[in-house]
Amino acid sequence: MMDQFIAIAENRYTRLVLVGLMFLSLQTTLFNDLRPFGVCLQVMLLLAASSGLAKGSQTGAIAGFIVGLLYDLVLATPLGLCAAVFAIVGYLAGYAHSFVHESTWWSRMLTASIVSAVGMILLPIGFTITGSENVLTMHVFTVAFVVALFNAMFSLPVEFVCRWALREPSAAR
Amino acid sequence: MAGYSFTRRRAILLLSLTSVILITMDLRGSSVVNFARSSFGVVFRPIESASRVLTRPIENTWNGITHYNSVVDENRRLKDLVAYNEGATISAIASVREAQELLALNGLPTLAGISSCTAQVVGSSPSNYSQTVEINRGTECGIKVGMPVLNAAGMIGKVTDVYKKRSVVMLMTDPGYSLAVKVVNAPPTTTTTVVGEVPSESSSTTSTSTTTTTIKVTTTTGIPGFTPGATNAPTMTTVSPTGVTAPPGSVGPNRPGQSTKSPITVPAGIDLPLKETGALEGRGLSKAPIVRFVENQVRFGDVKVGSPVISAGGATSLAPPDVVIGTISRVIKRSGTLGPLLEVELAADFDYLNFVRVLLYQPSTERPVQP
Repeated sequence: MMDQFIAIAENRYTRLVLVGLMFLSLQTTLFNDLRPFGVCLQVMLLLAASSGLAKGSQTGAIAGFIVGLLYDLVLATPLGLCAAVFAIVGYLAGYAHSFVHESTWWSRMLTASIVSAVGMILLPIGFTITGSENVLTMHVFTVAFVVALFNAMFSLPVEFVCRWALREPSAAR
Repeated sequence: MAGYSFTRRRAILLLSLTSVILITMDLRGSSVVNFARSSFGVVFRPIESASRVLTRPIENTWNGITHYNSVVDENRRLKDLVAYNEGATISAIASVREAQELLALNGLPTLAGISSCTAQVVGSSPSNYSQTVEINRGTECGIKVGMPVLNAAGMIGKVTDVYKKRSVVMLMTDPGYSLAVKVVNAPPTTTTTVVGEVPSESSSTTSTSTTTTTIKVTTTTGIPGFTPGATNAPTMTTVSPTGVTAPPGSVGPNRPGQSTKSPITVPAGIDLPLKETGALEGRGLSKAPIVRFVENQVRFGDVKVGSPVISAGGATSLAPPDVVIGTISRVIKRSGTLGPLLEVELAADFDYLNFVRVLLYQPSTERPVQP
């Protein structure tokens, strides 16, 4: 019983959930109030993208799904929508970066920026598919641009956090 | 490699299926999803509160850097506004009481007769695509989904999710918000002219005379068309064939075929503000909500900027009638019979929501039937 509990506690996705909760609390407080150019910055999306950059497409997709699900639980939007979009973002981040021959800091920033923009465009499309109206406007591009810029700036430290959270239990000890 | 691909495909398939199932369950109003959200809220609120305390200095610094000048300007403007409104408030309160008494006398529903639950806004949506806030009262206070939410200025939205000790309120700016409203247009200048064989009281030598009655409309607020105290019916002018003016209320309506002989009565309420019903729709935080379906009626005339917008009420409406929503800020004319599109400047300031009032109001169609 205790061994099982320790195994769960040591699991990398458990660590990701804990990190995700910290990021979610920042998202709903600090980044909810600081709205440069009227845009709410998306640190949860950054976490999903950074997971893909840190650990590849498959882990990125699962991590993105978990992070998105946490985000869905505090939003009034359909549960599972952000999870699906963030999973795509995590997957794309890992997949796109796998084509980079020699990874550099700026290539990781660029990848995080592009996949974040893609995510912010996919979200309103998802909302529209699930029945929301008047969401898909030109404002989406402003949001995508500002979020992409912010996520590029902070992708390296967040990627470091994701690398730590998603490492194997044996390596974490 | 083949095994790796299979695992990855299986993972993607599982994630996709899970997402679709979750979305379907949520859209169908599954209680499991509501329970999950509610439970997560219980776990997450303490973390959020701690985070709010820790990040408040950063928020204050940011607001100090970016909003200092606007706050100073707004403070000056608000001081002027307070001074301006002090006098108007007293007369407005008296008028509202008069109106409520009149409605009560006629057996019509009033806001004063609806119970309410006061709550505080404890959080807002961190999303760019939905405008919701969270309040700290829930089912324990009698709140149900659909109930209207107001602050001191006017309507702010409706309840969309209710838990035991918290509720989610969809703001009126949300693209998914819609409400039946009335636009109160300013009446045109009233001039009642009676031309006929009826001699005027003051004229005995001419066979045709003209009596002109202009009813003075006193406006005590800055909102055109909204006249506190306008619930009092305007004075009726009655001209009898004998030239004797009858006292108001003592003469019946016109009869068919006897219009030239019977007394002519200017109907009461002819100069009351004209109201037209439409549908208010939110368009997101960056755009003002609009009112559609206002018909192009000649009697209603052109909608004026600054005309008040209030809730329409009705058997199926989720809000009671006559709740203040805002004023018309822009009129977009359209060709044909579509009627104009009206942009609404909301009375409530959604940037500074704190204490709100949930009206425990349910329309007659939503109330449970008594056995």
